[in-house]
Amino acid sequence: MTTLAEQDIGLVDLIDRLLGGGVVIAGDITLAAADVDLVYVGLRALIASVATATEKGVLPGMGSAL
Amino acid sequence: MITLYAITDHPTPPVPRLGEMRVVPSGDLAAVCGPVIKGEVTAEALWQHEQLVEALMQDRDVLPVRYGTCLPDDAAAERTLQDNHAEFAASLDTVRGAVELAVRVFAALDRAHVPTPAAAPMTGAEYLRARARSAAEESDATVIVHSPLARAARACTVARVNRPGELLRAAYLVDRDQTAPFAAHVKEIQEGNPQLRITCTGPWPPYSFAGS
Repeated sequence: MTTLAEQDIGLVDLIDRLLGGGVVIAGDITLAAADVDLVYVGLRALIASVATATEKGVLPGMGSAL
Repeated sequence: MITLYAITDHPTPPVPRLGEMRVVPSGDLAAVCGPVIKGEVTAEALWQHEQLVEALMQDRDVLPVRYGTCLPDDAAAERTLQDNHAEFAASLDTVRGAVELAVRVFAALDRAHVPTPAAAPMTGAEYLRARARSAAEESDATVIVHSPLARAARACTVARVNRPGELLRAAYLVDRDQTAPFAAHVKEIQEGNPQLRITCTGPWPPYSFAGS
């Protein structure tokens, strides 16, 4: 079983929100909901190399101790 | 084409000088727009987008718009505000003064002993036992983690878990000045339940409470 490393959590939470949440507006949407899984797959490969992924801080006191 | 970042009240404080963001007002609502995002959807691009919406969130209430939402021009943005005025106004009222915190719960125990289909075929009985154990753990996570956090939040949403070992995936709408007590509450629950691994990130713009 693979578990998410701490630094991955921020990015996964981000992806869930940006691609799966927010106001949905009828219009010319450049990213269809159906693509979300593909984006996930693509982004998973990037996670380790993205320094900013850890910047979305986990709340104070919630970091590596968990 | 323009990108839509967020919907907010109008009048609104000046938008941060980031990403060429600007305000397209319509009545008592405004759309915060910017140039169309070009290029691949990368983690970096998502974080940049997030940075803009968080900057907006610093000094106003926002309804974040789903990433990748583009409209032809400002007139279309105004029409969108007019056509959905009641819904947007109600959603803004819902999130007013609050932010979103994301909580996930995983089983902390080393579950390597649980046979996976790839590692070793399970018998029907083993499969059912594993399923039952997993369901029981999810139920425990709800009682131990979600219920008390839901009481501490203004609103909450629970999403279907979608990862191995994940027992709870929830979002909580928390008053801006209550994020520290909420985090402390999460920490306390974690300390009392070493069998669980709890993560809490935020504060996020209220993506899970934006109304759609």
